[in-house]
Amino acid sequence: MAITTEHLTKTFRIFKREAGLRGALKSFFHRKYENFTALADVSLEIGDGEIVGILGENGAGKTTLIKLMVGLLHPTNGNVLINGFTPWERKHPFLRRISVVMGNKNQLWWDIPASESFLLNQKIYGLEDDQFKQTLNELVDLLGVREKLNVQVRRLSLGERMKMEIIASLLHRPEIILLDEPTIGLDVIAQSKIREFVKYYNKQYRSTFLITSHYMNDIQEMCKRVVVIHKGCKFYDGNFDILVNRVNPVRKLTFEFDELPLQHILDSLRNQFVFRLNANFLTADLRDREMNLLLSRLFTLNTPRSFSLEELPVEETMKSFFANPEKFIQGLG
Amino acid sequence: MIETPMIIKARLSPREILDKYTYVIRMTWIQTLEYKANIVVGMFAILSGVIIEYLLWKRIFITRGISEIGGFTFQALIIYIFFCLVVGQLKSSWVTSIEMIDGIREGELNKYLIRPISYFVYHLMLFIGHNSLYYLVYFFLITGMAVFFPEWVFPGWTHGVMFLITLAISVYLSYAMYFLMVCFAFWFGEVRALVIAYNLANLVLTGQMVPMQLFPEGLRNFLHFTPLPYLVDVPVSIATGRMPVEMWVSAIVMGMFWSVIITLAGMILYSRGIKRYEGFGG
Repeated sequence: MAITTEHLTKTFRIFKREAGLRGALKSFFHRKYENFTALADVSLEIGDGEIVGILGENGAGKTTLIKLMVGLLHPTNGNVLINGFTPWERKHPFLRRISVVMGNKNQLWWDIPASESFLLNQKIYGLEDDQFKQTLNELVDLLGVREKLNVQVRRLSLGERMKMEIIASLLHRPEIILLDEPTIGLDVIAQSKIREFVKYYNKQYRSTFLITSHYMNDIQEMCKRVVVIHKGCKFYDGNFDILVNRVNPVRKLTFEFDELPLQHILDSLRNQFVFRLNANFLTADLRDREMNLLLSRLFTLNTPRSFSLEELPVEETMKSFFANPEKFIQGLG
Repeated sequence: MIETPMIIKARLSPREILDKYTYVIRMTWIQTLEYKANIVVGMFAILSGVIIEYLLWKRIFITRGISEIGGFTFQALIIYIFFCLVVGQLKSSWVTSIEMIDGIREGELNKYLIRPISYFVYHLMLFIGHNSLYYLVYFFLITGMAVFFPEWVFPGWTHGVMFLITLAISVYLSYAMYFLMVCFAFWFGEVRALVIAYNLANLVLTGQMVPMQLFPEGLRNFLHFTPLPYLVDVPVSIATGRMPVEMWVSAIVMGMFWSVIITLAGMILYSRGIKRYEGFGG
């Protein structure tokens, strides 16, 4: 088992103060502290070679979970084991097996080309020259940044910087890779490139990936399994498609009649199904069972000129999920 | 697909460890060379201090009508102060320490914690790297002083060797003291004021502006029980022949003693502080 967490809990001690100078002065003399539980009793098991998405609304505890897993934070309670190591002990054999890419934090030196930072990482991880060069060449070609290697990092675009960060993080070919919002702020081409890259890398090297992202397309393309964190608790752990289906099992049908059926047939259909009719086009948003029944009726009536079945955009589905996740709690495993 | 299998080493050899950290020094040189104007200005910044001290003490000697203060002639005093400014510059780690404080406060520490490197040693190398370009210029300046003022600078070759040893101790000790202060950022967040206050006190109490030999006896005796004399006064006193040879060994031993104590204190504070670290960002 690659990653195991048991009853993982993290509480922060925070204080709030009023806005303005008066609030600042008041806070200078007296602060009211309170405990904020960012993560509560989260237990997980992630196997070798899995790509798992961590989902949750802002402030749910996703990044706290990632930080605990890589040892950036000490837990208040609970335990994490990654290939037998306890992350916050930060033993070097453990650190050589993992990698973290945080979308808004970077490890590259700002004023000098990324190639220099790569060489530093070679030394840090003790990589042999031939292994280093081979890995670097592969990563650079996969992400298409060869001509940017000797450009100062500060002069790169956000997408180029992100790619360089990913390269820097993968030079030592870690077994476990945690990506925290890896496509944040990137254009659609760069996002697609990174998704393809993750899938390729996982397939080639059987590395375990943990990915947090607010872009559902990232999750849909890369992750079969997702863990949903809601208010610091593990809310769902399972297949992403099943989750989407449970949340919004409706699909959209667009059926173009070659010839419109007679009115009494249409009335009969209206008694059974909810649909819209516009000229020769029938559109309906139905669950699977009803959809199948409607389709079988329509096909017996008429051979369509065209028809299509679409799932509603995942973003929309997850939007309604996160708006009220408790509503979907029943039946989610 | 890559044919060569990746070998993840359980541990690096001593040579690889040395390589890892000395490469940081190389990176700081590369980074520093990106900004030419900054290097040129930085290298000659010390001259402004020398000029001010020269004018100040010249005025004191003239208005008092004296030829000596506390055993220093005017020329010996200026040379001594020049050495103090050089050593003070070489051991000054406040820029690195401000970056470290910001790193703890803003979550930039993360990138060091997830890689197999020592935060303490990494920043020591950054500090040495930032200052080492100045070593080159100061080496020529000091050599020039030794050539033109042999009676006051390195009276014997052993003085030169001992100066280098005590300078190395001074540089390390200074870093360790800054590191100790930086660790308070884990509890208090912003501790820049502490570093700035220390810097100001350092300027005076280490003898950079006024030689320690000119301090009141009570203050000198008190400072004797602190690490401060080993930062500037000891290396400069050895370089200018003001410290008797028989005191050299004890000076080195005490310098190393303080280095160990301050390092241990820093390590303890760091290991406690890192448990409180919240790794902001993400």
